[in-house]
Amino acid sequence: MSAPAPLGLSGLRKVFFPGTVNEVAALDGIDLDVPAGQFVSIIGSNGSGKSTLMNAIAGHFPLTAGSVVLGGTDITKQSEHVRARVIGRVFQDPNAGTAPDMTIEENLALSLLRQKRRGLRLGVTPKRREVMREQLARLDMHLEDRLKTHVNKLSGGQRQAMSLLMATVAEPSLLLVDEHTAALDPKVAATVMGLTDAIVQERGLTALMVTHNMEQALRYGDRLIMMHAGRIVLDLPQEQKCCLQVGDLIQKFHEVAGEAFAVDRMLLE
Amino acid sequence: MNVILSSALEQGLLYGFMVLGVYLTFRVLDFPDLTVDGSLTVGAATTAILIANGHSPFLATLAGVAAGMAAGCVTGLLHLLLKSGASDTNYGPKLLAGILTMTGLYTINLRIMGRSNIPLLGVQVIYDKVGAFLSLTLTSWNLILALVALALAVKFALDWFLHTEFGLSLQATGDNEQMIRSMGANTQLTRILGLGLANALVALSGSLVAQQQGFADVGMGIGTLVAGLASVIMGEVIFGERSISWVLFSVIGGSIVYRLLIAVSLRFGVNPTDLKLLTAALVVVALSVPTIRKKVVRV
Repeated sequence: MSAPAPLGLSGLRKVFFPGTVNEVAALDGIDLDVPAGQFVSIIGSNGSGKSTLMNAIAGHFPLTAGSVVLGGTDITKQSEHVRARVIGRVFQDPNAGTAPDMTIEENLALSLLRQKRRGLRLGVTPKRREVMREQLARLDMHLEDRLKTHVNKLSGGQRQAMSLLMATVAEPSLLLVDEHTAALDPKVAATVMGLTDAIVQERGLTALMVTHNMEQALRYGDRLIMMHAGRIVLDLPQEQKCCLQVGDLIQKFHEVAGEAFAVDRMLLE
Repeated sequence: MNVILSSALEQGLLYGFMVLGVYLTFRVLDFPDLTVDGSLTVGAATTAILIANGHSPFLATLAGVAAGMAAGCVTGLLHLLLKSGASDTNYGPKLLAGILTMTGLYTINLRIMGRSNIPLLGVQVIYDKVGAFLSLTLTSWNLILALVALALAVKFALDWFLHTEFGLSLQATGDNEQMIRSMGANTQLTRILGLGLANALVALSGSLVAQQQGFADVGMGIGTLVAGLASVIMGEVIFGERSISWVLFSVIGGSIVYRLLIAVSLRFGVNPTDLKLLTAALVVVALSVPTIRKKVVRV
């Protein structure tokens, strides 16, 4: 188990397809300090670099420049699976966070082993099963009675709730959530979002949550960041964010981005 | 009829370890591994040269298995070198890695044996040793019983292994690599070891087949992957796939059914050299059934 840790990003740059006509700076100098236990919502239009930022922190690709410091350790050069021991992730695609052809208990066993060596002891043990039941019960989806069900039999919402549990059960130093409710219907999305908030609060996790949904961004988290063209263009602390409306946020965007706002899915949600 | 049945059982069990290896790569790791065409032979070649030079058949068999494991690990390493940024589900680098190892193994197998064929006549092979130890005469049914016992032991060991912490990571690597990587597992290393284990099983088949048929030949591995796939698919279709533990039985069953089909075909005068085309056709039919069924249902 590791404790929630502060995250420091400085001068983060990621250029895709360098030296070609398709060259694009998906991250163009990101500086961000997140104290331990802070829950940050991140919004921005399509292509603003939100998901690239998540992937950069998780180490999915090498950076062009800049550094990532988590809990005082520079992890910039660490490979993805090494950082994953202290970083939990929930993806947009409900199929991405679980192994579909494996059972619920097998999936959860893997998530309980996040910080441990995976050796030649049985993966699913009675003791671990007990922990799983207890954890699954809080999802209120009756999954604790279906430990031997294959995950491919579950609905999108159930899978996403499981992904959330699997990302957080081993108490990561940092939680990265990338539009994890975007593919769910509104009612299920609300349930999963509520669970996310409850788990983050209860464990005091340091968390970054990318969302397309402005309501969600305003309602959850203690800080709001808006991205545009690979940069952070707006950074609101809790005191300023709490009394804003969606309309104010769009206004703010006009001011800082200084160009026509791409009215995409944000307005519709 | 009795002869056909006993020879099919014997062959099916001997090649059953290979089929378990192909199942492990093709289904569990989602890695269609062509190394097997070479690693079956490397198991046979290593065992044959050691026995011919007077070493213990047990040691020779173990050495064959180790050689197969090394071959599998090489394929895993080549995949790591070749994949450079390709997505997890890109089969190109996987196929190429296997093809390269398989091709290289042809030379290595000839080097190991020093010639293209080593007969094992008039020497003690593993079956003679086991028979002597149990003071049994080596009838074909006794051999089958011994092979059943070995197949069961390997099946249960593999079943246990796949449910260990490492084994679950191995399963997840084939099922959703991004997910298990984001859980802190080194999927590259997992895949390399998985390929090593699978090819060790394939080499075990090669070693046992060589000792049973009385020779090792440089060409004996050709078509191994396709035969393995045919066995895996038939096993899954005929005996079902309700759980991994069950499928491990099913694919051994599939191996026996496949060898039975071959034995019957030969009995009815099919030319042995035509069998590879028939097997390939069988795999095409079996793998295309879901696609065709979907098309038909839609129309």
